[in-house]
Amino acid sequence: MLKGSEIVLCCLRAEGVDLVFGYPGGAIMPLYDALEGSGVRHILTRHEQGAVFAAEGYARSTGKVGVAMATSGPGATNLVTGIADAKMDSVPLVCITGQVRSHLIGTDAFQETDVFGMTLSLTKWSRLVRTIEEIPAAIAEGFHWARCGRPGPVVIDIPSDILKAKIEFTGPVKFKPTARLSDIHAESGFGEKLIALLQTAKKPVALVGAGAKLSGAIADLRKLLDALNIPTFATVHGLGAVKLDAPYYLGMVGMHGTRAANTALHDTDLLLIFGARLDDRVTGEPSGFAPNARIVHFDIDPAQLDRVRACELPIVGDLADTIPAFYRQVKTASLPDWTAWRTEACGPERAELDPRGLSQSTVRFLDELFSRMPENSFIVTDVGQHQMWAAQRYRSSFPRGFITSGGLGSMGFALPAAIGVQMANPDALVVCVSGDGGFQMNIQELATVHRLKLPIKNVIIDNKYLGMVRQWQQLFYARNYAETDLSDNPDFVAIAEAYKIHASRLGEDEMREFPVTQQTGDALERFLRSSEPELLVFDCQPEANVYPMVPAGAALSEMLFEEE
Amino acid sequence: MHAFHITYRNTQGTLMRILNAASRRALDMPYVQASPAENAHTVILLLEVNAKQIGQLCRDWHAIVDVEEVRAAVAPKNFSELTTEWEFAPHPPASVVSRGMSATAAMA
Repeated sequence: MLKGSEIVLCCLRAEGVDLVFGYPGGAIMPLYDALEGSGVRHILTRHEQGAVFAAEGYARSTGKVGVAMATSGPGATNLVTGIADAKMDSVPLVCITGQVRSHLIGTDAFQETDVFGMTLSLTKWSRLVRTIEEIPAAIAEGFHWARCGRPGPVVIDIPSDILKAKIEFTGPVKFKPTARLSDIHAESGFGEKLIALLQTAKKPVALVGAGAKLSGAIADLRKLLDALNIPTFATVHGLGAVKLDAPYYLGMVGMHGTRAANTALHDTDLLLIFGARLDDRVTGEPSGFAPNARIVHFDIDPAQLDRVRACELPIVGDLADTIPAFYRQVKTASLPDWTAWRTEACGPERAELDPRGLSQSTVRFLDELFSRMPENSFIVTDVGQHQMWAAQRYRSSFPRGFITSGGLGSMGFALPAAIGVQMANPDALVVCVSGDGGFQMNIQELATVHRLKLPIKNVIIDNKYLGMVRQWQQLFYARNYAETDLSDNPDFVAIAEAYKIHASRLGEDEMREFPVTQQTGDALERFLRSSEPELLVFDCQPEANVYPMVPAGAALSEMLFEEE
Repeated sequence: MHAFHITYRNTQGTLMRILNAASRRALDMPYVQASPAENAHTVILLLEVNAKQIGQLCRDWHAIVDVEEVRAAVAPKNFSELTTEWEFAPHPPASVVSRGMSATAAMA
């Protein structure tokens, strides 16, 4: 006879889970009571939001399903932002929440919330478990939907009496899905049609998004892009998918994309999209997006096709299947000579990718830091100006190396996510870059870092503002800096030391020389090479802006530049 | 006014997800009827929507795990005149669906 809680943990092990992140409470206490000896290691964070972001970091850096646990009521509601974040960025996530006893559901009992109802629009699938017999099927089905197709979050809500009940347990089960509308595969012959489109294109380009990485098809994608040899760029979640030294690679595209990428995307007559959903941060004003382009869209999620503009050729399916199939066609096809277009698109403006000629201390600092990191390092960012600078200066061909909250843009993401990344990749260098605003939203997770002795290298870009909002207020609200002043920030070094984490400071004066002085270089090396958790506060220009910038409502061709 | 006829497996929350696709867009729902039908359930919704919203809704509904089929028609003035002459709402993207067939039929 096993209790429901023991059955849950047994089924998690059957799904390959050996690590969960969570925070206990009344309704979920029976599950915590069963942890010892279960084979599932639990990481205690200091806020449920920290747990769910940590589970996301684990999932984003490995491709495996991240698992977060919380109690009912406020515990469950504290998971909601992370669940929404996972949905927007296609992260496989299973959240297990405790619920009040079955007979109290619907009575506004102590710490009762309708987590099933409130997460309906944020989850791929969810289940309020009604009997102990349902647990194995619920977990098996939950993990299936979290992983399959376009990955995403699921919620399994389990009343405490179900966790305490007992049955004769015959073992975990496998979920057998029935045919789904989304199980549509690319029509045969798409390769010939695509070759025909390429043969008439004069300015083809390729856009790479998160889907290319999620599919595991990076090696095949890179062979394909080499064969096509057309101007190529990435969304923020596509960074690292394209080889950095590829001569056709133009960097990030979109609101803060490079001039070369945005210009090429605007001018193209044939846009090949690999696993990107054409978020508005990428397209700019949809009516002005790639005005002359026919669109070919590779994606596993049919709901993303035709969403912004109708496709000339939609190719639905797993990119792990469709990309190799297309590459086989390209290898033997006779394609036009795009040398002139390539020269035009990938010419002098590529110099923006060159680290020389930097104008802002923060950009130089990030460049200096990133240049000292090994190729298989992870950079986890929070949300704001630092995030965009970090994305612009990302210099790695490590596919899963850049981790950020893109679609939802959740401040407070970075520190707990970095915990998840480091737990999943104990031997890797993990650098966590936050702004002074976002770092304070989950600052309590420094306690988790300290307890676990995670050698995460935390950087705070401290400009004493909510920087990105301040930038918009400067550019579009006549410098009315309403409620963005953080000039009374606490002493982050002192806070870190109170959490028993070594901390130091660097000022922008130390970034004025290029290259940096030996002393500054040594300080950065010590910071990165330390075997302990570290915090480095970079005191920087308060009113620096991120450029280029495409204003809201503008087309990608209407970029603002620093000199304006 | 447009009418939508959605066939779904009546698993936990599926009907709510279908309705939520409309409610999250602040669409009024003057008429909703859900009922069992053979091996599945169906729900008929009347919504005041424009062409862009129809595309958005169909995409959202087709993405729900247990939705099997979506059909659409222009709604009659009188609700009682709702007929079964539904047109298949093309599974996005429209170009992968054979003319006159639903995605479900195409997989059969």
